[in-house]
Amino acid sequence: MTEQPGAPEGATSTYVFAVCRRLDPAVLTGLAGLAEGCPVRGLRCGPLTAVVQHVPAAEFTEDAWQRRLSDRAALEHCARAHHEVVTAAAACGPTVPLALATLYRGDERAREALGADADRFTVVLDRLENHAEWGVKVYVPATARPPSAPASAAPHPGGGSAGGGAGRAYLERKRGLHRAREQHHDRALRTAEDVDAALTRLATATRRLRPHSPEMTGETHRLQILNATYLMRTERVQGLLDAVEGLRQRTGAEVEVSGPWVPYSFAGEV
Amino acid sequence: MTDIDTRRDAPPAHGPNTSNLADILERVLDKGIVIAGDIKIDLLDIELLTIRLRLFVASVETARKAGIDWWETDPALSSTAARDELRDENRRLRERVEALESAENGDAPSARAKDTAGAGT
Repeated sequence: MTEQPGAPEGATSTYVFAVCRRLDPAVLTGLAGLAEGCPVRGLRCGPLTAVVQHVPAAEFTEDAWQRRLSDRAALEHCARAHHEVVTAAAACGPTVPLALATLYRGDERAREALGADADRFTVVLDRLENHAEWGVKVYVPATARPPSAPASAAPHPGGGSAGGGAGRAYLERKRGLHRAREQHHDRALRTAEDVDAALTRLATATRRLRPHSPEMTGETHRLQILNATYLMRTERVQGLLDAVEGLRQRTGAEVEVSGPWVPYSFAGEV
Repeated sequence: MTDIDTRRDAPPAHGPNTSNLADILERVLDKGIVIAGDIKIDLLDIELLTIRLRLFVASVETARKAGIDWWETDPALSSTAARDELRDENRRLRERVEALESAENGDAPSARAKDTAGAGT
């Protein structure tokens, strides 16, 4: 690993994307990272390799970050750039992603800090060996289907007689709707729990993420009732996909799978 | 922003390359190993929380809470929607009553006055 390739003029900081054991520099070729013109590269830190990039210090101060993270487009750009580098590095083997915005005053400082945490990285790398993260989201239709024929309201002998019958029917209809909503709601919760329980049995570890609200997904026809993520052994992935197919058929819910992800959700202390 | 999605040489075994932003953000912002950097960026800063709200990352942790959340955000389930529905129903009923009353008034005003008086005692 060469030390200063592409170091920009002026003061630079060292941004760290991830830490891994081995890295083929070829996988990083052409990645923009967070600073145009500064190559994304490996930085040897004892037994580990950090995936780093020089960035202009003036553009990566705390204030600059606050501005960047307050701007939706800039935030998206950073998040995607970070993710792209982490994902590319993971092609070479287990990789621990660092939290967004981990910066050091230079390569030496980065090497020092990462070296001090080498044991921690080693433990996590061992745990992630042969594993990937798989995201699973479950959706149900957004609205409870109103009971087509209000069966409970039906037994109403000679129910044609003016006021009383209409009022009763109205209440019955209201009650029926309310019941349908509650049942829909309970069923959805149960489905979420069933899916999570079934997949948890196949996973090495599991995390529940916040379900995305309809405002976030922009979808009104369906509701996300489960947003979970599973740390899967490579050889168990097919089992997960098969189980998901079975759950789709059994529950009638929409189940979406995304992956493999670099195990972001399992990089910290589990 | 399309740099990931248009990459043709992405290793097939790593990373869904059509990842939606919400999926990426919830991993890149919240997860990953945290080690002290030289420049301190507090990702849980209020400002960031605001953005995250703006991005509509639902602030619900458990399935139970999620349940409450859909209850509130699903127009079909929300109490506001239910209230609106009731209000409409009320308005329609009132209009019908008025229509009936005015029809009655037109036909037999005296009989109706007697009924009302009787009901009052």
